[in-house]
Amino acid sequence: MRKIALVLTMALLVSVAVFAGAQAEAQAGGAFTPSKNIDWYVTSSPGGGSDIFTRTIMDIAVAEDLLNGQNVVVQYKTDGAGEVGRLLVSQIRAGVQADHTLLTFNSGDLMPMLKNTNNRFENFQAIAHMAVDKHLIFVGEMSKYKSFEEVLAALKRGERMVLGGSKGDDIACHAALIAELGVTQDQLSYIAHDATSGAITAILGGHFDLLISKPAAASQYVEAGKITPILALSTSRFPGNLNSAPTLSEFGYKNVEVPNWRSIVAPKSMSAEAVAYWTDVFKKVSATETWNKGYIEKQKLVPDYMDAATFTTYGMNFQKEYLASIGKDK
Amino acid sequence: MENLQMLFMGFSVVLTLENVLVTMLGAVLGLIVGAMPGIGSLAGVALLLPLTYKFNPTTAIIMLGSLYYANMYGGSFSAILLNIPGDSPAVMTALDGYPMATKRNRPGQALFTANMSSFIGGLIGMLILTFMGPLLADLGLKFGPAEMTALLLVAMTSIGWLVGESPTKGVVLTMVGILLASMGMDTLTGSPRYDFGNMYLLGGIPFTPFVIGAVGFSQVLKLMEERNKKVEAHLNQKLTIRGSLLTLHDFRRLVPPAIRSGFMGTFVGVLPGAGATTGAFLGYAAQKAFKSEEPLGSGAIEGIASCEAANNAAAAGSFAPLLALGIPGSGTGAVLLGGLMMWGLNPGPLLFSTNPDFAWGLIASLFLANLLTLIIALGIIPFLVKILTVPVKMLIPIITVVCVVGGYSTSNSMYGVIIMFLSGLFGYILDRNGYGVAPMLLAFVLAPLLESNMRKAFIISHGSMGIFFEKPIAAFLIIVLFAIILTPVIKFVLRKAGVLKK
Repeated sequence: MRKIALVLTMALLVSVAVFAGAQAEAQAGGAFTPSKNIDWYVTSSPGGGSDIFTRTIMDIAVAEDLLNGQNVVVQYKTDGAGEVGRLLVSQIRAGVQADHTLLTFNSGDLMPMLKNTNNRFENFQAIAHMAVDKHLIFVGEMSKYKSFEEVLAALKRGERMVLGGSKGDDIACHAALIAELGVTQDQLSYIAHDATSGAITAILGGHFDLLISKPAAASQYVEAGKITPILALSTSRFPGNLNSAPTLSEFGYKNVEVPNWRSIVAPKSMSAEAVAYWTDVFKKVSATETWNKGYIEKQKLVPDYMDAATFTTYGMNFQKEYLASIGKDK
Repeated sequence: MENLQMLFMGFSVVLTLENVLVTMLGAVLGLIVGAMPGIGSLAGVALLLPLTYKFNPTTAIIMLGSLYYANMYGGSFSAILLNIPGDSPAVMTALDGYPMATKRNRPGQALFTANMSSFIGGLIGMLILTFMGPLLADLGLKFGPAEMTALLLVAMTSIGWLVGESPTKGVVLTMVGILLASMGMDTLTGSPRYDFGNMYLLGGIPFTPFVIGAVGFSQVLKLMEERNKKVEAHLNQKLTIRGSLLTLHDFRRLVPPAIRSGFMGTFVGVLPGAGATTGAFLGYAAQKAFKSEEPLGSGAIEGIASCEAANNAAAAGSFAPLLALGIPGSGTGAVLLGGLMMWGLNPGPLLFSTNPDFAWGLIASLFLANLLTLIIALGIIPFLVKILTVPVKMLIPIITVVCVVGGYSTSNSMYGVIIMFLSGLFGYILDRNGYGVAPMLLAFVLAPLLESNMRKAFIISHGSMGIFFEKPIAAFLIIVLFAIILTPVIKFVLRKAGVLKK
């Protein structure tokens, strides 16, 4: 009887120890697990790129059971072109709420924020950098030029031309491109559309000659033969049907690229334990097949996971360079 | 008749029990969403979109398509009965719908007119979409910045003389609308304008709360003045479908403008970024050139028919570039496009060939939604009309709540509510001084489009005006513009010279 009791006690102790060990391992670096719904802020409208990004990650995290059984509530905060939502997240005070708040944050959000407000990247806690998107230049069926050589030759002759694209990083890309080519804004002017689809509409109608777009938005039109890629704004050529486009270095210039990154940040006040937890969750998400096949490949992005520390450095650098480029670096 | 064959194939996709039910659900939701001020098709589709991620794409788009479509019907309900446009295209419907329902005491007929002409306009739009969709989309592409600028200039100049009795007041309010619309981020470079250091104003004035306030809440303020008056609209008609039926004569008045607007609306819907509001507006503007039995703005059947048919046709037309090219013609279209991508489809020029069951299923579902919505809408007219028998005292708090909810729901924040109250006050002051708010609202919608297109045109032409005259479509529209501006001037001069009799 006594022996049995002893064995039972031992077994109990061992199992408790093992369990505790496993627990400790699962929560290495702290003791945070979500204990309530997660508020995930998106500062643009449902159905847009940020929304798709957020919901894809959310679905994977739920399917892989990474959220301790908690739900994610997506909050769309679009007031003030998204600035209100971003400010709100940056100002959440330390506590349970701060540990359960996330914000989808892309370079396309950062740039207008830096330009138009005093909110800065350091007011947020960087969590994870997930992927980058780069740009290409295209010509349409009705364009005057057929290749980038022809464009360069025309620019040398002093011809004026118009490049159409979207806002944010597309504009920054145009600025970097004309700086490298040594032409003026007047000679290679830029037309910003609300979305890339607007620019594609215009080039399909032959209203200007050059289009700048990220691969995903343009891919279908390339396949249908409506537009042709002529230049990759990246350090290497793109894969698949965009491979025919050379990089700028192949023409003897320096490569120009303004990567549009997609990431997740949190309130500055999030606890270190929660930061460790979340950065790990997204690392696991970025390693899943659903993420790589169902999102990265389909959206033609470059997977580029960075943890909280690496992303903080990267983001601060990006901010410094951007502020300098628009003359706001004090 | 390959298209017809494909359409029948589409019907075979739609006419499964599941899809018919989903169409019906979409239609009912669309009617409700459309009838509620503030939650227009854009918000309705956006709200429902996340729920459909788990559906199969065809079923999902059928539901959203019919919701979007039925929304165009619903928008007219509150416009006609309460003078509060349920969505932006209904601003035009209210101009004749509300007087017809109250002054002329024919609310049932006003609703019937709106529904019937929506049906006709939508049907025309869908037939055109079926047979000429891709062609139409290509035509839409011809409308670049220069052409759009010219078209919008024509529209803008017509606002003043179109709405209200005094053109001068109309012009003043058009200007006010343009000024208000220019707040927020610059449409091209993203630089802040008139934000007064306020973060909320960085995003500009949101349209929906602005409309609800300027039209709806100002209506509440007006009602407060007359709260003790007896209910004016003592309904002497029976609250049955039969009591709401149109006479044959009414019907004859309805059909020609509905058909005209159906064709025009479809075309406007195809144009990049123009959408149903512009369609409804131009439909109404065109009606001014034709004969109406009663003057427009006093409750004329022709007025309701022309704008309601146009906005439904535009909704159908906007599917042409969406399906044929993957290009959204409106905000709602853009959300639908986002949906397509989430469901795993690749919207673009290849959609018709890679996913024909999907594309044609959607078109077929529009036909079905059009019919179902008409039946549902006609069935509920007698109940809707009862709203007018609610005493003013009770109507005031009810409409106020609806306005607050509508203002809030645009961006889920109190900012919308504040804008709603402020514009309500503003609208009331304008109204008391004999200024109708419609020109301001229309200018508010059209000005950003005009600005961005005009600036794009000038970038393309490197600042030369020539671009408006070199392209045939733009040149034609500019001639129309001059004709509109110069006709009164020439008339005036001739009259002065005694050539033309007064």
